[in-house]
Amino acid sequence: MKKSFGLLLIALLLVLAACGNSTKQSSDTTTTKNEKNNEKSEVNLYTSRHYDVDDGLYKKFEDETGIKVNVIKGEADELIERIKREGSATKADLFLTADVGRLYRAKEQGLLQAVSSDILSKQVPEKFRDSDNMWVGLTKRARILVYNKDKVEPEELSTYEALTEDVWKGRVLIRSSENVYNQSLLASFINIDGEEKAKEWAQGIVNNMARSPEGGDRDQAKAVAAGIGDIAIMNTYYLGQMLNSQDPEEVKVAEQLGVFFPNQETTGTHVNISGAGVVKNSKNADNALKLLEFLTDEEAQYTFAEANYEYPVNPDVEQAELLKSWGDFKEQDIPLTTLGENSAKAIMIFNEVGWK
Amino acid sequence: MTKDGFGMMRRISNVNGWTIGSVLIIILLFVPNLSIVTGIFTPPSENWAHIQEFMLLGYIKSSLTLVFFTAIFTIVIGLSLAWLIAQYDFPLRNFMKWALILPLSIPPFIGAYTYHGILNYTGIIQKTLRNQFDITPNPAFFDIMNVPGAIFIYTLFLFPYVYMITRIFLSNQAASLIESARTLGKSSVDIFFKVVLPISRVSIIGGVSLVILEVLNDYGVVKYFGIQTFSTAIFQTWFGLGDLDSSIKLAASLMGIVIFLLVIEWVLRGGKKYSFASTKVRPLPLVKLTGKKAVIATSYTLFIFTVAFLIPVLQLLDWFVLTFGKVPMEEVLTYTKNSIIVAGTAATLIILFSLVIGNFSRITKHKFGNVLPKLTILGYSIPGAVIAVAVVTTFIAIDRFLAPLYLSMGLDSALILSVSLVMLVSAYIIRFFAIGYNSIESGYAKIGTDFRDASRMLGVSGFRTFFKVDIPMMKGAIISGFILTFVDILKEIPLTLILRPFNYDTLATKAFQYASDEKIMEASQASLLIVGVSAIAIFVFHKLLREEPE
Amino acid sequence: MFIDIQNMCFNYTNSSAKAVEGFTFSVQKGEVISILGRSGSGKSTILRLIAGLEMPKCGSFTLAGKKIFDDYTFVQPEKRGIGMVFQDYALFPHMCVADNILFGLPKMSRHEKMKRLKEVLELVELEGFEKRYPHQLSGGQQQRVALARAIAPQPELILLDEPFSNLDTDLLVKIREDLRRILKKANATAIFVTHNQNDAHALADRIIKIKDGRIDQVGRPCDLLGIPTNDEVELELLPEESQKELVSV
Repeated sequence: MKKSFGLLLIALLLVLAACGNSTKQSSDTTTTKNEKNNEKSEVNLYTSRHYDVDDGLYKKFEDETGIKVNVIKGEADELIERIKREGSATKADLFLTADVGRLYRAKEQGLLQAVSSDILSKQVPEKFRDSDNMWVGLTKRARILVYNKDKVEPEELSTYEALTEDVWKGRVLIRSSENVYNQSLLASFINIDGEEKAKEWAQGIVNNMARSPEGGDRDQAKAVAAGIGDIAIMNTYYLGQMLNSQDPEEVKVAEQLGVFFPNQETTGTHVNISGAGVVKNSKNADNALKLLEFLTDEEAQYTFAEANYEYPVNPDVEQAELLKSWGDFKEQDIPLTTLGENSAKAIMIFNEVGWK
Repeated sequence: MTKDGFGMMRRISNVNGWTIGSVLIIILLFVPNLSIVTGIFTPPSENWAHIQEFMLLGYIKSSLTLVFFTAIFTIVIGLSLAWLIAQYDFPLRNFMKWALILPLSIPPFIGAYTYHGILNYTGIIQKTLRNQFDITPNPAFFDIMNVPGAIFIYTLFLFPYVYMITRIFLSNQAASLIESARTLGKSSVDIFFKVVLPISRVSIIGGVSLVILEVLNDYGVVKYFGIQTFSTAIFQTWFGLGDLDSSIKLAASLMGIVIFLLVIEWVLRGGKKYSFASTKVRPLPLVKLTGKKAVIATSYTLFIFTVAFLIPVLQLLDWFVLTFGKVPMEEVLTYTKNSIIVAGTAATLIILFSLVIGNFSRITKHKFGNVLPKLTILGYSIPGAVIAVAVVTTFIAIDRFLAPLYLSMGLDSALILSVSLVMLVSAYIIRFFAIGYNSIESGYAKIGTDFRDASRMLGVSGFRTFFKVDIPMMKGAIISGFILTFVDILKEIPLTLILRPFNYDTLATKAFQYASDEKIMEASQASLLIVGVSAIAIFVFHKLLREEPE
Repeated sequence: MFIDIQNMCFNYTNSSAKAVEGFTFSVQKGEVISILGRSGSGKSTILRLIAGLEMPKCGSFTLAGKKIFDDYTFVQPEKRGIGMVFQDYALFPHMCVADNILFGLPKMSRHEKMKRLKEVLELVELEGFEKRYPHQLSGGQQQRVALARAIAPQPELILLDEPFSNLDTDLLVKIREDLRRILKKANATAIFVTHNQNDAHALADRIIKIKDGRIDQVGRPCDLLGIPTNDEVELELLPEESQKELVSV
């Protein structure tokens, strides 16, 4: 019994190991073959962005450079934990995520290494690069106000802070505090106005909520159209997706909504980034850097903006039509790193004021 | 003294493959969990006071609310359906018998997205009312993103656990009891409350404990609905506060709750092992319903089937058509193949391991042989993402240990197992072992040890007996255990996301990829394939079981 | 002696009390022995110890000159050459009658197997039932199949556990006679366990009465039945009502 079970197990194990490694082993052998003349045949990516447009860009990178891009997609914090536990043996070369707080966390835990190149410096403004060059931004998202054109005049709108005033009682829609975009938003206020003020703001929003937070950003927009509330705080690119939805009803809803960039006269609209950093124990750091340069070049940046309605970080790149139609806006002028530094504090504030 | 000594010696010589195999498997299953158990004893971090003050109590309360009501509703629906199908014949009964298991094939988070998609402002109902009839109903009326809504979703997609286990019990085991109640002139209602309900207690508890563990562990539905539960607290602590230690501490407390529930289950069934080791297993003859009663029975089963399966699937189909051509399709075969292979392998291993441990537990005279297998259910109580961390840690340690071997084999990498499917499959086994084992254990309990003894008395070794007698007699338990685990693994998310090898996608990861980005329409293709593959598996299960000689 | 058991003892792991103690007994070839006792007396445990389904704490056992167990050896049940008929027969429900009987036959040619199958079916008078499944048979037929299955491999010893407990009383006399006829015709050495004195009387060459895990009395049926010195065995002969009274006293 034991013997045949054991044999069966070993056989299965081998088959599985072979399955998982087959692609890699073949590429490994090519590595050893080509080692002398070309040792840059692959780059391993841990990413929490799972958009089809990203896959397209990786493929393009492969075609152009001959460097194979291997991808593991997962949730950012799980990936961070995995890189940490893999330690010096890690296969990861590049860590890519859709929130600067996570980049900060990876950096704090010593998982990233500094990389820089003239090309990167040229393509990405300093503001969207880590002060120690541990990570660079890839795309921007703005957290904006979306309002019901029938019920709200844009003149009534001014700032995030104004939404805590009594006129907005029962009219504000925003998703749960569990969401990282809200955490970053509050973290930015902690940086700008201090903890005390930030907490007052959160409390004020909770008091003015049209309903207990539920659903995603798209659901907030729909709730505005449905008349549950009059104004929603949401990310730009979800609205872009709705305007281009396959479902005509969603397009109809999105068209009823107006876009407003708050705090233009004061501190600027909150912006978060997607970004990436080269892993400290990377075995293919050169390739990782190449991929970073590729993802921030004009063509890739245009693709991001066009397909996913994100704002490019590369200032030379023209924005997609839709984004252009919303106009230019003033961004918050704070070091992005502070969003990461303050995010835990933000969550505690959310809990304390009872923002679900 | 000497006598005991020689007794021990013979006992040790009698330690056979079953014991060694079982102990090895249990160690494999349990070791990764150890890192979680030890989490209880690490000193609390500075966040712990905050977690206790602002998160714990409210979260536990909403978790318990969800668990309590979902348990009640799944019992009501599962048991009533099981009883109808087991005892009565009515139009569509033979189809419903297996079709009512199908809701299990829809991952609850997809179900939640789908129902929200149907009911929300741009969903089919409000849209039609608005555009065709010019009625604008109060949208709050259709809001399901709240605690009652979550209970509704869990009930719809989890009740088949109760239905399936209870129906098999009622059809196969309860014939003489129900018949004698019939001959005593009891009405159907009386029989239900005075006989069916009490005697099905054990199987109801078995089914509902799976439901409860699923609810406690679910993250997808509550995250989307914005409901704060114990599992959100675990992830909030980890992802938000960046405090994995505290989050493992929370997971460990969840494990504590589960152990508590297990003890309650054990007490509820009177500490008895339920065995129906009679050779006179006989199916219950069906009572034919006619007229109004038949209409009611058919309508009721059809209603549940429609709400829990047909409507969501139709909505997914609608979205599939809407987004057709927009979602890349070329690799869809690969994802499907990946899903089937990895779920099939893990489910097969789970069943094999369960057979070994179950047999060990059955033939051993030692108490620990009965207690030890219970530990393996713990994996089912730990959130997938936390298991993932434990498994990664364990496999990296194994890889480090094996590094010299890799070198001697000429492999140039330090990580072999932990970047292969071995790790993912192991994690599945840890996570879902309880589901397969439950089924196998009740299979063993059903056949008892007499047949095994009889076979050995005929000069056939224990090993051959296992294949010639035990396995064929347990066909039903083996197939149902396999299908249940297979279907569960097919829709699994956190483990698959984090532990898969490079460039490896399954149907579930594809569906999640879109759904997590609020692109539920684009997620329909992968979701439908999950449902399709599971439905085929469930249908095969139904066919295989029916062929058994009765 | 054909069967020689010396000082066999046993206790269950979860209790310290001895379930069987100091069991010493010998049997001659071809003898039919009855172990008689009320439920809980340890009689079934003795049968399972002889079968090898339980492991004794002490004692020794030889069968046809072969050491089955002592302080240093323990022959696994499948190697003992002992056949057993279980209380509820334990016929494999997924096999037909023929497959059930063929199951225990040692390696031999197909022709020989078929011959043996025919022989035992003749012996138990069930010719023509080969393709039936257990659930298609009556209780008495099931018992005969179980007996045929146990006899087929020609064991040195046949054990029967409460062979009549599952049968209708009106058939009992006939079945008891059949059983004795079959056992004698096969020249089988047999030990059977019962709680019913009438069964023991009708079937056995010798009777062992068991009380609290020990041998209480041994003798031929005619010797023992005439002088019921033991209240326990007497119990079984009394009508049910008076049994209850006795117990309550």
